[in-house]
Amino acid sequence: MGLKKNAAAVTKEPKAAAPKPGKERTNSLLYSQKLAPYLFVAPFVLVFAIFYIYPVISSIIMSFQEVIPGQTHFIGLTNYKRLFNGDLGQAVLNSVIYTLLSCAVVVPVPMLLAVFLNSKKMVGKNIFRSVFFLPALVSIVVAGLTFRLIFGEMPTALLNNVLSNFGIKPIKWLGGPAQWTTFFALLVLCCWRWTGVNIMYYLAGLQNISVELYESAEIDGANAWQQFRSITVPLLKPTFTYVLTISIYGGLAMFLESYMLFNGNRSPGGAGLTIVGYLYRLGWEQANFGFGCAVGICLLVATLTINLVQLKISGFFKKE
Amino acid sequence: MRKTPKGIKTRKFSWTTILLLLLFVLLAVLILIPFYSIFLASLRPSTEIMRQGIGLDIDLSIMSFDNYRHLFSGQTKYFTWFFNSIKITAVQTVLTLLVSAFVAYGFAMYDFKGKNVLFTCVLFIMMIPMEIIMLPLYQLTIKLGLMDSMWGIILPAVAGPLPIFFFRQYLSGISREFLDAARVDGCSEFGIFFRIIAPLMKPSFAAMGIFVGMNSWNSFLWPMIVLRSSEKLTLPIGLNSLITPYGNNYDVLICGAVFSVIPIILLFLIFQKQFIAGMTAGGVKG
Amino acid sequence: MMKRLIALLLAGVMAFALCACKTSEPAPTDPPATDAPTDAPATDAPTDAPTEPSAEPTEIEFWTFQDLHVEFYEKMAEKWNEENPNEPIKLVPTVYPFDDMHNKLLIALQSGVGAPDLVDIEIGKYANFLKGDVQLMPLNDIVEPELDNIVKARVDIYSKDNNYYGICFHVGAAVIYYNTELCKLAGVDYENINTWDEYYEAGKKLKAADPDKYWTSVETSDIWHLWPMVAELGGDMVSSDGKPSIDSPAMAQALEFNRKLVDEGIAVVAPGNYFHAEEFYGLMNSGAIGSIVMPMWYMDRFTDYMPDLAGKIAIEPLPVWEAGQSRSVGQGGTGTSITAQCDNPELTKKFLAFAKLSAEGNIEIWNTMGFDPIRTEVWSMPEVTQSTNKFTDYYVDSPFDVLTQIKDEILPHNVNEALPATLDAMKNSVLNRVYTESNPDIPAILAEEQAKIQY
Repeated sequence: MGLKKNAAAVTKEPKAAAPKPGKERTNSLLYSQKLAPYLFVAPFVLVFAIFYIYPVISSIIMSFQEVIPGQTHFIGLTNYKRLFNGDLGQAVLNSVIYTLLSCAVVVPVPMLLAVFLNSKKMVGKNIFRSVFFLPALVSIVVAGLTFRLIFGEMPTALLNNVLSNFGIKPIKWLGGPAQWTTFFALLVLCCWRWTGVNIMYYLAGLQNISVELYESAEIDGANAWQQFRSITVPLLKPTFTYVLTISIYGGLAMFLESYMLFNGNRSPGGAGLTIVGYLYRLGWEQANFGFGCAVGICLLVATLTINLVQLKISGFFKKE
Repeated sequence: MRKTPKGIKTRKFSWTTILLLLLFVLLAVLILIPFYSIFLASLRPSTEIMRQGIGLDIDLSIMSFDNYRHLFSGQTKYFTWFFNSIKITAVQTVLTLLVSAFVAYGFAMYDFKGKNVLFTCVLFIMMIPMEIIMLPLYQLTIKLGLMDSMWGIILPAVAGPLPIFFFRQYLSGISREFLDAARVDGCSEFGIFFRIIAPLMKPSFAAMGIFVGMNSWNSFLWPMIVLRSSEKLTLPIGLNSLITPYGNNYDVLICGAVFSVIPIILLFLIFQKQFIAGMTAGGVKG
Repeated sequence: MMKRLIALLLAGVMAFALCACKTSEPAPTDPPATDAPTDAPATDAPTDAPTEPSAEPTEIEFWTFQDLHVEFYEKMAEKWNEENPNEPIKLVPTVYPFDDMHNKLLIALQSGVGAPDLVDIEIGKYANFLKGDVQLMPLNDIVEPELDNIVKARVDIYSKDNNYYGICFHVGAAVIYYNTELCKLAGVDYENINTWDEYYEAGKKLKAADPDKYWTSVETSDIWHLWPMVAELGGDMVSSDGKPSIDSPAMAQALEFNRKLVDEGIAVVAPGNYFHAEEFYGLMNSGAIGSIVMPMWYMDRFTDYMPDLAGKIAIEPLPVWEAGQSRSVGQGGTGTSITAQCDNPELTKKFLAFAKLSAEGNIEIWNTMGFDPIRTEVWSMPEVTQSTNKFTDYYVDSPFDVLTQIKDEILPHNVNEALPATLDAMKNSVLNRVYTESNPDIPAILAEEQAKIQY
């Protein structure tokens, strides 16, 4: 194992090829504390520059162009102007509603569950942890297929079948006349997949809270609720921030859940159309690369702004 | 120490425990229902399933292992995809862990000019939906000659923001004086990382290993774009290619979907302890 | 202990996976699918043409979204190799899901790398491929000599600036499929339904006879059922000058008619949202729907997905709004094109002409796929009219009788760069709103949606 890693180091940094195990500092480069950090972060910088900076820049450029084979040319702000009269409004609305709903569930609920799971009184912790985490291991293709069949509109599909026991008529869940059914299905899928993951984050956060704090609180006569409120919640705040950040990001960038539930980027009435879905439709399905990039840039600005504001409010940067 | 006899408290605690337990059992059952029902579905004629949706009732008269027999008969590309997925997942996981740990170490253990800017870039990546840069990234992949190859999938993700972030948090718990001691002993900066730090990171490797492995195994959108030839597809892409109204492939689809879940769940069950230990030891301190 | 057991299991799974790989990779253990049933999985290994010792076969990479098209092309490749031993080809087909294939192709063509030699492009997507410098190969030298023998509209729709880029599989004449059993139940003589009013009355009769049955169905995420109704009135999805035209009175009239049927329970909104959904196949197959409007190429969906209706389905010309209107429209279609990245354009062209333009190829199109081929002379050739295949066994009447009846009434529709986006709007929004919103103001919806279309 160690050998292998050394070998990897060699490819990363050719000059490390002949490190003499002795104490002579033959190669000052290897021992330079000033240079070392740059070498360590170099792979990241490379990947970042090649696979992120470059595409983002060319995305920005393309958003001002009409990209067609052999005849690509600049068209100024046309793509951005067109943003306002298409379906983008609906896509944004869907994405925002979905983000709000999913954050309302997937951020606080796992926190509570994690607190319970962390409690010494809880029985079968490991089993529950594993069970809750299982859905995260399932590919979205499989999960989407399964939920599509559960939320099927036929009376024989699982959910309608269960509801029929209560005398409820079959509902067309996916893209039915009422919009809430679609959001409900998306939300259930989202909760199913992410609750376990977020529980893990919170559990991790909880381990950093010293047990002594609780013990001394108990001695002071604080009940469970008081302990939760005045110890757990404040100390879990960084984890909370982190989970909220990735949930917002995940919500705004949601696409595959809808794609798989509706068996493609086509939902009746655009009920499952999200921002990324819109981008995908324009860029990939209609070959409107420039327009697609304009949508992408808007989404990028929106996600960055929301997340930065959110991080700022929660005081994330002060700790750096 | 909680066993100290406190009459009232004990009774209260057992009552809430039962309630809690009930709640958790209920939740667990709800979470397991999709698994259960899709498994049942895989034993039934698939076209019927696609038409009627899945249910919970067991009807032995129409259940059989025919679908699985067909799956294992080798007439489909299913196991080619399966093997591709295993290969890509393995390579991607090992590489990503290694590179990310390497980078994270740089962030955690040194103060250097531009560190904050660079680390903000890590966060920045976390916030760029991959889908936004898909179009130019695709063109780049072509220019680099990485189309239809597993490197086209692996390389862009090799310095994953989440593992870097996670490892940095994990490493920030290690005191720097510890490193100075190693330096005095004559270790090079890289020697310190590979000989001393990397072994210390084992639990976090397990945790991130599952994360990265899971993401790689299930990754969908980007591989769908990069991969072309049907013998190079990964499992999710291959399965997705069976969901089409223009062909009759549902037999393989549903049991293939079920079977694809098994390895990753087994992996998780095996490494579960390390995974939870690693996750919880690391923590996100922000 | 438990852990070891799991580890063992895992190892077993992996080992098994590897073995299965090995056995599946040297593929052609099973014989080529010359007369294999259509449900042979798409992922089956391509059938290799018998290799000639004299010449090395030229590989032709072919993409499609339809299993059936592969079957057809493989048969044609085999025939080609028999007739042209000097120029053998080896077809390497790949079947992708509909959207994936078009998306992949589009970006492959735009970026100049990775496209196949030969490809099927569906009409609704075709205009995307005609933007800018067309990345497909003009087929004029094979198409032009045959123009008099084929339905010209079926190559016109794949043309730009007098260059033909694709050749269709079929005419795609819209017809109506009746479930004769339900017609009997309703006491309706389907052969005498000539106008949509009569069609509506027939629906009411069925409803009276059995309220649980539906006379027809409408799609909320596809347009096949609607297009011919609009075309009869002179409407279309896009105008001839390349603009969306869904806010026309013709469109509104057809939609209002359908909406009335839905409101009265005569029509059911297709479960699964379109006529290609498994849920719809299930309902139709159960005998709950009396008729649907679909193009001829839908014939093989009946035979393949709705086996219980065998011997019960009749194909008839469409009703009209007023006597004298044309009774059909050539609808849908898939143009096979050769990409600019093709390695052997000349040979590929020759093969394409052989497969899609020759009488032999057109007869095979009917026999394999049940499509109404574009070469008109074959419609009356005994090889077609007297052939027995799964289609003649399934349907009550001969599709070619209908085809000959409506031969001169098959309207073309406009295809241009506005079409993909317009169809997207129809499929994703318009139809759903019209058929599911309560009390929709249909002309207003159409005007509103039309304004939103970006093309």
